[in-house]
Amino acid sequence: MANMRSGQTAVDVSQVSFNYGSVKALDRISLEVPSGISFGLLGPNGAGKTTLIRMLVGLLKPKQGSARVLGERPSRKSAHRTGYMPQLHSLYAELTIRQNVDFFAKICRLSDGTERERRVEEVIRLVGLWPRRNDAVVKLSGGMRQRVSLACAIVHSPPLLVLDEPTVGLDPELRATFWEHFAVLNRQGVSIVISSHTMDDAAHCDRLAFIRDGRVIAEGTPEELKRDTGQGTLEDAFLFFVRSREVDRA
Amino acid sequence: MPSLALTIAARIIRQLVRDRRTSALIVIVPVVVMTLIGLSFPEEQVLDYIAPALLATLALFFSFLLTGISFLRERSQGTMERLMASSVSRLDVVVGYLFGFFVFALAQTVIILLFTIYVLDVHYSGDLWQIFVFQVVVIAGAVNLGIFISTFARNEFQMVQFIPLILFPQVFLCGVIWPVEQMPEYLQWVARFLPLKYAVDGLRGIMLLGQSLADVSFELVVLVGFTVGTSILAAITLRRGVGG
Repeated sequence: MANMRSGQTAVDVSQVSFNYGSVKALDRISLEVPSGISFGLLGPNGAGKTTLIRMLVGLLKPKQGSARVLGERPSRKSAHRTGYMPQLHSLYAELTIRQNVDFFAKICRLSDGTERERRVEEVIRLVGLWPRRNDAVVKLSGGMRQRVSLACAIVHSPPLLVLDEPTVGLDPELRATFWEHFAVLNRQGVSIVISSHTMDDAAHCDRLAFIRDGRVIAEGTPEELKRDTGQGTLEDAFLFFVRSREVDRA
Repeated sequence: MPSLALTIAARIIRQLVRDRRTSALIVIVPVVVMTLIGLSFPEEQVLDYIAPALLATLALFFSFLLTGISFLRERSQGTMERLMASSVSRLDVVVGYLFGFFVFALAQTVIILLFTIYVLDVHYSGDLWQIFVFQVVVIAGAVNLGIFISTFARNEFQMVQFIPLILFPQVFLCGVIWPVEQMPEYLQWVARFLPLKYAVDGLRGIMLLGQSLADVSFELVVLVGFTVGTSILAAITLRRGVGG
């Protein structure tokens, strides 16, 4: 995996707004993700997490403000430096695990055949599916498809991973396995931005941004967020910030 | 062809080949349809006259259907979103899909053409290879049309609604059933903007009058222009519904 110097900023979002017609999805949102950590975007469904994620991978452009990823505006030219795992499995069901990962490796310009083969094998082994490598994706369980999807996102060794709810629908054991993978990637210098609406994921992140109604309502490490609110759990800390905001509005 | 477009084309071919039921239907459906048409026109002369129009219509129909539905599936299962978030250019995607689907559209066209000539025993005057080349241009336009139109559909049901909207007016207005010249003036004007008219005119010229590709160069140029135009439109609208 490509290493980045510590202290660099992997993602810099400044005063970004976005709307779908009359519906405001992001409202002057700002956040900074230091490199080499797991940064969680936590919030309920419809909070704006996926919109922000899609902006970071260049699928959407901010209506206002600026978003920079690894020092550049997200674009096709810089896309090979980002690994993206969308919310849907986004795999070719008729193809095998190996064919899917190999296809995305080629798309991400891993052109050297031997190196690509080695890397494809490495990531399939990493997600624990090497014995099933020749099985069609259509025959796999939901959890296995999530693992293949992750393999496709990391096959080209990007310095930044952007993962949209990667642990949804996973059983607790598999969720723990995913977080073990993420920890390994962080140790290799990879920065990870991960969206989720479960507080179990939140506890694994190095830093968190609580998002609601397209705004960041709080940001910090899990410990800071609990300490600052005097709450024992992140769920209670989140609810504390939500209620404080409602009181402020009233 | 750029290497990424080639990668996408190879993936589409591999994917469809692995889907055995779809592969079988790609072969069986044209044969069944052509058999029914053959049985419906017992008079040789009538079938000879209508065959060029049918060849053009079926090439357009099958190519449009295959591409439109397959491309829509790419969007709905999220794989298009993943592609659009990568370094792949829109041109790579359109060219890749064009070639990938083209292989199967071509296979169907060859089946229909050979079945028409050797099984239904339709008589033709021009060269077989010239008929084939003309059909290749027709299906290239139809494949791009399928990609373009699928960007306006959010699901398979909507895509199916586009089929009568795109195909029926062409079948009625482009000389498939009755000559364009016998239609009211304003409908003749409408027909001039529909690609099937040029496909039918060109194929009739080659198959019935024994003309060469040079003789039907006007029709050929219009169809090539249509293919280029739909390629550009497909590339422009590619991101519709992806990411948003």
